[in-house]
Amino acid sequence: MKVFRFFRSVFLLALFMLSACSHEMPFVSQRHELAVSYNQRAQRAYQRGEYETASGLYEHALRLDSAIENVEGIALNTLNLAKVNRALGKSDVAQLYLDRLLHDRALTYPVEQMSAAAAQYGLLRLQAGDIAAANTWAEQAVAYCGSQCNQGGVIANLRANIAVQANDAERAWYWSARALSANKAEGGIEYANALRLAAQSRLLKLEAGEAVPLLEEALGIDKKQGLPEKIRMDLLLLAQAQEALGRADLAAPLRERAVRITASLTK
Amino acid sequence: MKLPDFNLGIQQTERKTRRFMWAAFAVLVLVSGVIAFRQDYFVRNTSVYFFAPNAQGLNKGMAVKFIGFKVGSVQEISMESNASVKVKLSLDSEYVRLIGQDAKARLMKEALVGESVVEIIPGERQVRQVAQNSVLEFERGQDAGSLAESLAAQVQPILSDVRQITASINNPRGDIQQILKNLNQVSSGLRETVTQLNGLAQSGSQKLDGVYVKVDRALDKANSSLETLDKSLPGLVEKADTTLNHVQSVALDLKQMAQVSSSQVPALLRNTNALVEDGQETLKGVQKAWPFNGWLPKAEESALPLDGYVMPPELKR
Repeated sequence: MKVFRFFRSVFLLALFMLSACSHEMPFVSQRHELAVSYNQRAQRAYQRGEYETASGLYEHALRLDSAIENVEGIALNTLNLAKVNRALGKSDVAQLYLDRLLHDRALTYPVEQMSAAAAQYGLLRLQAGDIAAANTWAEQAVAYCGSQCNQGGVIANLRANIAVQANDAERAWYWSARALSANKAEGGIEYANALRLAAQSRLLKLEAGEAVPLLEEALGIDKKQGLPEKIRMDLLLLAQAQEALGRADLAAPLRERAVRITASLTK
Repeated sequence: MKLPDFNLGIQQTERKTRRFMWAAFAVLVLVSGVIAFRQDYFVRNTSVYFFAPNAQGLNKGMAVKFIGFKVGSVQEISMESNASVKVKLSLDSEYVRLIGQDAKARLMKEALVGESVVEIIPGERQVRQVAQNSVLEFERGQDAGSLAESLAAQVQPILSDVRQITASINNPRGDIQQILKNLNQVSSGLRETVTQLNGLAQSGSQKLDGVYVKVDRALDKANSSLETLDKSLPGLVEKADTTLNHVQSVALDLKQMAQVSSSQVPALLRNTNALVEDGQETLKGVQKAWPFNGWLPKAEESALPLDGYVMPPELKR
């Protein structure tokens, strides 16, 4: 009996090994491999806050992908370059990259990336104060996205953003609530953004008390993610909420904390 | 004397006379040959002509030269009915091919006071060579007399200028005399200034004496300070020496270390490079191999997360 068990185990193990060996890795060219390597290094640089380095590495990756006409790689790296340039404060350069992607007549890019590009374009227009254009690009992003798309959370945040900047409290609350539900599962930056936007909509609706817990949750996430600008924003909005609630003594230290972050960023 | 002996004497005299006559004839022929050779009778000649306004400086037998070489001679000089002079040149046919129809015959001296020659000046254009009885253009070159005349013509205006300048210098109302007068006045003024300066220097030297005393005191103090420094310097120098020795020995050690390692460093770097490459290859292999490929993040390009938040303008830094 023991012998039978032993042979059975050996047989199962051999079968398992065979199945593992039969698993074949897809062939990837040297150039593609190098482009992947540049892309991953750039991502790490971006996460460390080394935006200039990230930009250079993404450019390398984009050149390699263009050389082998890797359409998905071209779209991804162009989008990433737009994001890096936005982070660097070069909105015009970011817009140029997005233009290249959105108005390309020669290549057809995946809808997911086209939707992301349109959403990013909308964010850039909103940043420039052009609410109408931002709205148009948000619609465009939805059109690219369709029903099956991962950009739903970002687009909802964009729409909530647009409503906040337009001082439309109802719409802001509507879209931020949708953004909260769309991004809750992910629980990262976009969820924190949704929380902050929901708080802003509450502030617009003069419900400062409702805004405080939302902002405290957003602050926790942003601290965990290590995003100084977002932390500063949360603190300032919290101070604003406390002031609205007539608690100036609580607002002052929050403002002081925000100032210290600004000072550390500008050093 | 017997008749046969007499006849024999006459025969000997005749033979001697004949020999002398033959020798004389041979000498005559030889001399004639030499003369003929000297007169270029054995050279094939080409005769050319030129016409000169007068025969001054032209002589029969005169050398004719072409670019410094004798190529012929003046063979004949004769007066024409129109009172011009016709000169016949005999040119060595060998050189005629070098002389074009547009060549000129120029009468010139070989040096300032040398022998006169007829120089053939080659033409500027490439034309047909001169032929028998061709006529060349003639011109006279500059001799010493004409050179002196041209020199005199050039010097004359200079001499007249010099005469004018001398007159201007001598003129008491002229510019130069006025300048000299002014200079005289200036020099007398200068003399007075020098006298004043002397006085100033004397008073200055008196004041300087006081300054010297003060400087002397300061120097004394400086001397005493230097003496103190002198005393303490040897110790300092000794310490500095020791420190430098230490530094030197450390530098020597470092140099030795560098020398020892210099040969090993490139090899080490190469090996490290190879090791890193091997490591990368191995890592790549491991990443692709089961079961690690399931554990590691996929080797594919990814998008950065999109930040869907725009800071309100009133909260911007």
